[in-house]
Amino acid sequence: MATYETDERIYALSTAYYPSALAIIRVSGDGCVESLSQIFSGKKKLLESGSNTLLHGYLSDTSGKKIDEVVLAVYRKGHGYTSEEAVEITMHGSLPLIQKLSLTLEEIGFRKALPGEFTYRAFMHGRMDLTEAEAVEEIVSAKSEMAARSALSRLSGSLSSVILSMKEKLVDILSSLEVQLDYAEDEILEDWVYPEEEVMGIISSIDRLLSTYDSARMYSQGAMVVLAGATNAGKSSFFNALLKENRAIVSAKEGTTRDYIEAGCVIRGLPIRLFDTAGLRNAGEEIEAEGIERSKSLMREADLVIYISDGSDENLPVEDERTMIVYSKLDEGRKGHPLEFSSVTGEGIGEILDEVERRLLGSSASESDVSIESQRQKEGLSECREILLESLKVRDSSVDIMALSFQSAIRSLSSLIGEVSSDEILDNLFSKFCLGK
Amino acid sequence: MESSMYDYDAIVIGGGHAGIEASLAISRMGFSTLMITQSLDAIGRLSCNPAIGGLAKGNLVREIDALGGEMARLIDSTMIQFRILNRRRGPAVQAYRAQADKFSYSRLAKETLEREANLELFMDTAVDIICENGRAIGVVTERGWKIFSRVIVLTTGTFMSGKIFIGEYEHQSGRLGEEAAIGLGDALRDKGFNVGRMKTGTPARVKKSSLDFSRLEIQDGDEEMRPFSFLSEKIERPSLRCYVTYTNEKTHQIIRDNIKYSPLYGGKIVGKGPRYCPSIEDKVVRFPDRERHQIFVEPEGVGTEEMYLNGLSSSLPERVQHEFIRTLPGLERAEIMRPAYAVEYDYLDPLDLKQSLESKILENLFIAGQTNGTSGYEEAAAQGIMAGINAALRLQGKEPFVLRRSDAYIGVLIDDLTTKGTKEPYRMFTSRAEYRLVLRNDNADSRLTPLSPLASKERREALERKCEHMEEIKELLKARKERGKNGLELLREPEVTISSLCIAGMEAFSAEEKEEVELDLKYDGYLKRQEREIARFEKNESVEIPQDFDYDKVDGLSQESREKFKSVRPRSVGQAGRISGVRVSDIAVLQVALRGVRNVR
Repeated sequence: MATYETDERIYALSTAYYPSALAIIRVSGDGCVESLSQIFSGKKKLLESGSNTLLHGYLSDTSGKKIDEVVLAVYRKGHGYTSEEAVEITMHGSLPLIQKLSLTLEEIGFRKALPGEFTYRAFMHGRMDLTEAEAVEEIVSAKSEMAARSALSRLSGSLSSVILSMKEKLVDILSSLEVQLDYAEDEILEDWVYPEEEVMGIISSIDRLLSTYDSARMYSQGAMVVLAGATNAGKSSFFNALLKENRAIVSAKEGTTRDYIEAGCVIRGLPIRLFDTAGLRNAGEEIEAEGIERSKSLMREADLVIYISDGSDENLPVEDERTMIVYSKLDEGRKGHPLEFSSVTGEGIGEILDEVERRLLGSSASESDVSIESQRQKEGLSECREILLESLKVRDSSVDIMALSFQSAIRSLSSLIGEVSSDEILDNLFSKFCLGK
Repeated sequence: MESSMYDYDAIVIGGGHAGIEASLAISRMGFSTLMITQSLDAIGRLSCNPAIGGLAKGNLVREIDALGGEMARLIDSTMIQFRILNRRRGPAVQAYRAQADKFSYSRLAKETLEREANLELFMDTAVDIICENGRAIGVVTERGWKIFSRVIVLTTGTFMSGKIFIGEYEHQSGRLGEEAAIGLGDALRDKGFNVGRMKTGTPARVKKSSLDFSRLEIQDGDEEMRPFSFLSEKIERPSLRCYVTYTNEKTHQIIRDNIKYSPLYGGKIVGKGPRYCPSIEDKVVRFPDRERHQIFVEPEGVGTEEMYLNGLSSSLPERVQHEFIRTLPGLERAEIMRPAYAVEYDYLDPLDLKQSLESKILENLFIAGQTNGTSGYEEAAAQGIMAGINAALRLQGKEPFVLRRSDAYIGVLIDDLTTKGTKEPYRMFTSRAEYRLVLRNDNADSRLTPLSPLASKERREALERKCEHMEEIKELLKARKERGKNGLELLREPEVTISSLCIAGMEAFSAEEKEEVELDLKYDGYLKRQEREIARFEKNESVEIPQDFDYDKVDGLSQESREKFKSVRPRSVGQAGRISGVRVSDIAVLQVALRGVRNVR
């Protein structure tokens, strides 16, 4: 981790460095309001402003020349994202203007923020715990609206509070064991009884959280959907039809050989990495054979394979949760299958997308659920779950062993809510943040 | 009467359990030592219950022994009953407990001190510490002596401004019939020490021949007496019985009717008492629904009629004590020989101590025992030996000897005291230790003897022998085959034991050795998990914080945590994280700042 200081005034562009209607530059650190007032048209108004107020005016360069018309959102110490004195400057999103203002800010003593520094400061000032800090990182890189919403709910501490309540239950169980360890058999005569109901309850809470992992991961990283089928079955026209219908195309790149094309899009709020593979047929050409091999490996990795048939295939794959078969060329006549479509008229594509969404989300995801999204959270919860299952298996062991199990289970949860934080977790976390967030 | 500079290398103030271990440790490490005690007849006195050991405390005793201390040997030679507690509750929490013959225990303690070549005993009362440039250099006594030394260990127990209470009666005593040490507490207050008050109590002693044994339950000891010391041979001593009886509604009614006479409830005692060892009036008031409380009747020794009423400590007036004691079955005609009483005394805030038990306020002054806000003989002795070793290391010009929480219960004890402080008399509990599967009483020697600067050659050799024996036992097990498995594998099955395997040649080894091998094998999986956790824990323990680290220069620390860091001065990031009320974010800030320090260096 770079050496962060928290006593310097820092600034960063918080929106994308791209021509747009508006851009936001955030400044933070003690004395930043006073510094900024030197170049603000309403100097007195700014100096006297309370926390959470908006001010309209102009920012000028050090020679007094106007740079842009701006709106300032003022946060006094103890408020705002970092909990430090901070100002968000909303300006016009013109690149030369952004550059000009950045330069001026440096002239009056601001330093460009390091990646993750704003969040680091918020963490340092006790504004958030580790899961909350991770959530910010995910909001920043969230690829879809749903992922952003989930990260937002975590930011308000709901994952922490779910984990905390499990931890409290475990602490209660441990206490009932510790009593047995702290007092002799002749002082406390009652034997300890394994609290099966409570433990099963905690295990099923963990299961619920763990089940959100895959769908949550799909929301944040995108689901992998592979189009397969014989050559000329209509894969490419389906691919193009999907991309046309869903405007949020992120990128489209062509494979180096003829093996596949990948594109990013959002379907029903779900970010999807869509792959159009080479046709599956026995090929004589070597290059074609290689492409087919790669297609097969893509299909193995996929979250969902959509097999497209024009009705003439002899060897259709077996349909399962991960594999769905759809029929093309509806415009040439209905074949009597539930999922048929026409890339020409667009008919049937909506129904197919409904099915895609249903299959990708399964039954686990619901918008109100608290979810986990990082590998670390998944590992911590799985570890806790395993220890608890193990404790069930050896429930007749002596109480010292049982206490050990519950101690370890608690420790695996504590590491999630950041109560025991080691250097590396922090390093890892803060180095992943984007500049200005 | 002024003496020339440095009459002794070390002075130990107090001859209780902490003072004994401290003075023996320093003199055995080769330094001339003077023990100043108010009464030579009271050395090593068991002022409260006539027993050594118990849950967690038994582990402390064995750890003290493994380091080279004396407590285990004293009890091994004077026990009159022995039991292993919590056998059923598992190996990690089993503990030794022995009833002691109080009189021979303290006599043997005095004899042991008298035999020590570098140690002198002197009867007087310390009233002040002589200081020079922030260092302790000597002691002023009540009879006007000024004695100088390079290091001092303070172990005042309950004697510093001690005051006992029995109903209306109060007297300046450290124990019933023994004068308090007046003056030292105030002298230390003037020097800037944070002096507080604590309270503890002891029950009445009744005459054995006045009891009706037909109405008491019998509690026998184990058939086999096990030595606490890793150096003691088999113990062959007669075992005495303990007894059990119960309070009843009548007892409780008498106590409730007279509660107004209690100095505790009347507000005369300001010191905080222990929650885990409440007086009977506390129990009755706090648990009104309990129909009865268990009372153990224990002999105080072989040559005495005095019986100790464990669980019945009180500060109610003597007439009330007479009345309620006689409501207990078997005690209807009990004659009280010594009344129960409460004692309130000065203690020094242990947050003012370094982990070496040296005072942060006065250099070269080490403090141990009840003075630091603990309770119990074993807790006192554990601090005594550590203070003694560290005082001797100071004399040698060496770095302090600090045990971690993962090394020993002693490590947990001292880390808790110096990191969190204590608001009530601190007693060791099993639950205070995180890594108790590793901190067992059977392996204290393997854990600590190799680390201890005090452990003798004899002790190290005994440990080597034991380790060799354990290896031989494993070899024998390996050679034993049954159902396609060898003995080592068979032992992992819950019902298999070394003795059930009936292996020829095993009788050559002691029961302790065989049990330790058995435990190590049976709990192998759990031990490995615990060791992984210890490795994780030790990572932060090894990130040291320089003692001169300037917390004021660290930006971003909350004011509360900054103040706490400055007052505790943690040795490591791990310790810093255990200070109560310190936020995770402040630990993160600290880690970042320390990284800066390391980079600069």
